[in-house]
Amino acid sequence: MDDLLHVRSLVNSREGTVKPAIYTDPDIYRLELERIFARSWLFLAHESMIPKAGDFFTTYMGEDAVLVVRQKDGSVEAYLNQCRHRGMRVCHADGGNTRAFTCPYHGWSYGLDGALNSVPLEKEAYRDQLDKSKWGLTRVTRIATYKGLIFGNWDATAPDLEDYLGDMKWYLDGFLDRRAGGTEVLGGVHKWTIDCNWKFAAEQFCSDQYHAPYTHASAIQVLQPTAANKADGSPLGEGQTAKPVWADALGGVQFSGNGHGSAFFFTGKPDANVWVGGQVSAYFREHYPEAVARLGEVRAKRLAGHNTMFPTLSWLNGTQTLRVWHPRGPDKIEVWAFCIGDKEMPDDVKDALIKSHARSFGPAGFLEQDDSENWVEVQKVLKGHMARRTDFCMQMGRGFEERRSDGIPGLTNYTFAETAARGFYQHWADMMSAENWGEIEALAKVSEKELADV
Amino acid sequence: MSDLAILEKPAVANEKLEKLAAEIVRVPLELQREIEQFLYFEASLLDDWRFRDWLELFAEDVSYVLMTNTQSQTRDRRRGVHPPLTYIFNEDKYQLERRVARLETGMAWAEEPPSRTRHLVANLRVLSYDGEVVETASNYHIHRASKQTDLYSFVGTRRDKLRRVGSTWQIFERRMELDQFVLVAPNICILF
Repeated sequence: MDDLLHVRSLVNSREGTVKPAIYTDPDIYRLELERIFARSWLFLAHESMIPKAGDFFTTYMGEDAVLVVRQKDGSVEAYLNQCRHRGMRVCHADGGNTRAFTCPYHGWSYGLDGALNSVPLEKEAYRDQLDKSKWGLTRVTRIATYKGLIFGNWDATAPDLEDYLGDMKWYLDGFLDRRAGGTEVLGGVHKWTIDCNWKFAAEQFCSDQYHAPYTHASAIQVLQPTAANKADGSPLGEGQTAKPVWADALGGVQFSGNGHGSAFFFTGKPDANVWVGGQVSAYFREHYPEAVARLGEVRAKRLAGHNTMFPTLSWLNGTQTLRVWHPRGPDKIEVWAFCIGDKEMPDDVKDALIKSHARSFGPAGFLEQDDSENWVEVQKVLKGHMARRTDFCMQMGRGFEERRSDGIPGLTNYTFAETAARGFYQHWADMMSAENWGEIEALAKVSEKELADV
Repeated sequence: MSDLAILEKPAVANEKLEKLAAEIVRVPLELQREIEQFLYFEASLLDDWRFRDWLELFAEDVSYVLMTNTQSQTRDRRRGVHPPLTYIFNEDKYQLERRVARLETGMAWAEEPPSRTRHLVANLRVLSYDGEVVETASNYHIHRASKQTDLYSFVGTRRDKLRRVGSTWQIFERRMELDQFVLVAPNICILF
């Protein structure tokens, strides 16, 4: 452990405090690109987006532009979207189908397998002495898929994807495995920018149910299925239980491990608190028995809940939004949001879900609008010198962590608790201060024990 | 000789040009003015926070849609291949009314305190008209000033269909494009 930038002094997960410099410091951000983003499993694409050989999708791993490409043998590879000659972006499209990636600068051309196949004037200019086998596109070291989601990792020594997911698999399954046939991405990708640090967004989806009643007060007020709201039409919350579910919720769940976190309410019905149109909630109710058979009752009912897989993949059950918070400097992110539906959904339900997804958590979504505004304003406040030195309070529910005996994994707490936030930042500090994955795993063991034992 | 003489001067026809110019709909000046004034009025209602009045300009069966935008290579476009789009807005009258109701709660934080907007409408073309329905295309530039120093610009095209209602009009279809691939704004919390 070297802790080059003394980040361990900025995060105190035992006391429940963080120093906001972690959201603003450019040196910390540069180290994050190396120690977090070049060592973690990062979401690249959903298999359904690139079904045929030659299909590709362009995305990012941290700030590195990458190409995700379906191979002729059906496998998936990913490469830096960077020509080996002068570093030019070889592909500018958001996606498509191709036989080759040809750099627009000097015309170096690469195959689907990343190999450098042709170089203009190879004979005349290079005198036939360029060893093309050494100048293929830079391949992402490891690619792995989990139930349709494709991930990449630059670190050969990182744990395997499923070990990295750990208990989070249980939660991810509840999102991806409700029906036979799995899921697919419905419609296009929403992309937009928010002037805030990536950790605000990732942490909120990891741990923060607490913001919902107040931040989203306006949406809840106009979309919940009250008689007044239903008078002239179908509010987005049409299929919901009519009162806030936490009013008589049986408890809640938080979880952390490897920085991942998640929460949900225990609800009486499989339709509580879902911001989707009536047709979509009817679909969830109709296929509830199949989900129970596959996942058990708790997870089948879980149609509202927030999740982050460390560092930057987040999703919401029920509203079916899955998003990546691509970092763009210490004070900017690009949000890429995907609508995830069951493959077996009837087409009219898929269409209704695409519309609901945009209406709730697209960039103009009734709920999405409120979140970004908070993060942007916090980031602005942190321009102040004293503001950056002022501790944030992250103490909610500290000391009330437990391990459940009913099969729900992770370190749990009430729905409104910051257990997962403390776990998120501690894992962040561990990754930032560790020189390799062996050290990260050793630190994680200690941290998780401490987190449970305040 | 009057300045209008040029309009009366017989000209030599250019066949290609004539064919192309046939796309320009010869709309009566009166109608053009009426539609123009209607769209300017609509813009002023949004800019003056008269959202309930703004809703009155939309028919009960209105469809109000804004799609995302993607980039694909020319050779893919030629064969009709491009990454899928999705909705930014997909509203009916009721959903538009809910958006207005949201702004009225005083707790829609992205619009609290409310931003100032200017909806500029330009390049208005009437694409077709009959006694009942007028189809238009226009470009918009929405300028939004929010919080202390945040300025946002949204530029694109609206394709509106208006229906004659009494002595005035109602919009019953609005299809919009927005010229951004990655939206350079934290959200869209205003009406377009």
